[in-house]
Amino acid sequence: MSETLLKVTDLRAGIEGKEILRGINLTIRPGEVHAIMGPNGSGKSTLSGVLAGDPRFTVTGGSADFHGVDLLALSPEDRSHEGLFLSFQYPVEIPGVTMVNFMRAAVNAKRKYFNEEPMSAADFLKLMRQKRAVVELDNKLASRSVNEGFSGGEKKRNEIFQMAVLEPRLSILDETDSGLDIDALRIVAGGVNKLRSDRNATIVITHYQRLLDYIKPDFVHILYKGRIVYSGGPELALELEEKGYDWIKQQVDQNSLSEK
Amino acid sequence: MISAQKAFAQYIDLYKDSVGHVSVSPMLTALNRSALAALEKAVQTFRHDPMGVADVSAPEMFAPDYGVNILGVRLPVDAASSFRCGVPRLNSLLAVVANDGYYPTQNTASDLPEGLTVCSLRDVPADISVRVSEALSRNLADGGPACALNSLFLHDGVLVYARRGVKVDKAIQIVNITSVAMPVLNIRRVVVIAEDDADIKVLLCDHSQAAGVQTLDSEVVTVEVGDGARVELYDIEETLPQSRRYWQLFGRQASRSHLSVGSFALHGGRSRNEYRIDVEGDYARTELSGLSICAADRIVDNDVRLTHAGSHCTSRQLFKNALFENSKGGFAGKIVVKHGAMFTDAEQTNRNIVDGEMARMITAPQLEIYCDEVKCSHGATTGQLDERAMFYMQARGIPADEARRMLTQAFMVDVIDSITFEVLRQRLHVLVEKRLSGTAAGCDTCATACHSDLQEPV
Repeated sequence: MSETLLKVTDLRAGIEGKEILRGINLTIRPGEVHAIMGPNGSGKSTLSGVLAGDPRFTVTGGSADFHGVDLLALSPEDRSHEGLFLSFQYPVEIPGVTMVNFMRAAVNAKRKYFNEEPMSAADFLKLMRQKRAVVELDNKLASRSVNEGFSGGEKKRNEIFQMAVLEPRLSILDETDSGLDIDALRIVAGGVNKLRSDRNATIVITHYQRLLDYIKPDFVHILYKGRIVYSGGPELALELEEKGYDWIKQQVDQNSLSEK
Repeated sequence: MISAQKAFAQYIDLYKDSVGHVSVSPMLTALNRSALAALEKAVQTFRHDPMGVADVSAPEMFAPDYGVNILGVRLPVDAASSFRCGVPRLNSLLAVVANDGYYPTQNTASDLPEGLTVCSLRDVPADISVRVSEALSRNLADGGPACALNSLFLHDGVLVYARRGVKVDKAIQIVNITSVAMPVLNIRRVVVIAEDDADIKVLLCDHSQAAGVQTLDSEVVTVEVGDGARVELYDIEETLPQSRRYWQLFGRQASRSHLSVGSFALHGGRSRNEYRIDVEGDYARTELSGLSICAADRIVDNDVRLTHAGSHCTSRQLFKNALFENSKGGFAGKIVVKHGAMFTDAEQTNRNIVDGEMARMITAPQLEIYCDEVKCSHGATTGQLDERAMFYMQARGIPADEARRMLTQAFMVDVIDSITFEVLRQRLHVLVEKRLSGTAAGCDTCATACHSDLQEPV
């Protein structure tokens, strides 16, 4: 398949004047699952935030072409409408906004973006029912405030539920496995797998190989000091699990020393 | 800053020039007379409150040259045409105050339940006239120049009187309409008296049709809640950017009484709201809540003084403001717990969102406690909308403006949910949503639905 879904070229970004991403190159095609791994502080969450348009980060260089659209020029909401979805590492609690109102606003905003009429109440409820089943999310959560009082597992399932509703072309799962017990992990990963198709793609950001037992990646990239320093197939994740990140760190640090 | 002497001199002169020209009822004329000395004294002793918003202090508000309807002329107002409301009716007992004149409708003129009186202050039944007269003049000395001025020119107003044990399910709704073509000071008064064990709900709605004209509404509300009685009082402000309002609530509570006041400032210009509640009896409960949504040059200043004198009483205050653009908000809240007010349980909360570079909030929660065995707390927070929540919503495709609106509404939810009057609570959710989505001011946006098929004033 030659079609490109996302092409990130020499992407540089930082926070409060400190550069975190120092030239990211990444190409993703429909149907692929890419895992991005790396030690703490390597820039994994910055990359997901920058792609989703998190205002905390400032892009200082490079480009991101998302199926022909200049991703970095879009507002966060338009990135969502164009088919980008970020599953948050820490889903935000929004007291006073019910899940159902939140989702209705999201669904209808997308329809408006594509000049469609708002969804009827009956169709919307049907959609909610269908998509809740993907991650076995309790109906009771619909009337509760967004993420408020949700357990860690419920929050992550709620993220995948939203992903199921919005049907993105590219999903970025930012440490979706953190804070999950093994049962919740299975449900969440199962949900992600159900949503996979040859038309959409997924970026899985994780510390651990564990999640990759459930969501099988086609490519594994290692992010270190703001760059992708190593790319390989699924076996790379196993190698990391076995050896840790130190060998990568040593190799990269030696190379950068010799460059100097 | 203009002095009180200077600001009020025009009204004192006006009264002295016109005294004796009009006498609508002996009770009101007596009040007018005794108010002169009270006003002169209040003006002399007036001190600017350093915690208040200076633009809406009594001298600033009353200083402009407003016309006063000193002769008590009833201006022709088409009250019925004022209301065009598409929301289902509240089914209330409705009375209209057009500018400063009282107009009952069919159901307040003749369909009132037994034991409930709703009438003009000109026509107070003889058997309760002493009680009403006392209530009218009770705060002359301590109500400041605004209350004294209101008493000086008062020639009409509304009495809501529930006799012992009378319970009324329907709300008594008083709709104030300002409809003038020139700058006018409207003098309005509402007296609510619930005798022992009575239970009533009163809804006050302020509207204005005086587009482009600066007007000032001086509104004094006196509420007396008898032993074991319960009064819910709601105040909704839906006026215009040029509207000015100086609103004063004086409440008195007897033992085991329950007073619940909710104030909703949705649209308007400059508003000063003063709440003076004296909890005199034991085992009483007081709830005060208020919200304001302010944009452009809107000012809403709430000033609360709640005095606990009785023992074993509970009070809860919750005031929230959302300030956008150049608007200003104020909250000065004082809880006074007097010596002997044992086991008082008082809480006061003020939370504000300031989401505009020029928006300002002044908040001053205060406690004054002269008794040992009490539980009192106060808290105030002022901040911006949660940026993480904004981004989270945007990341799901919700446009920034809509996310901001939803978060502001969410911020207000607990104030609305504190309304025990269910029909009104539901309407207010709609009303606040409409307000935030930028629907223009006017009766058509008011969810209280006083009109839809309003009976003609009689």
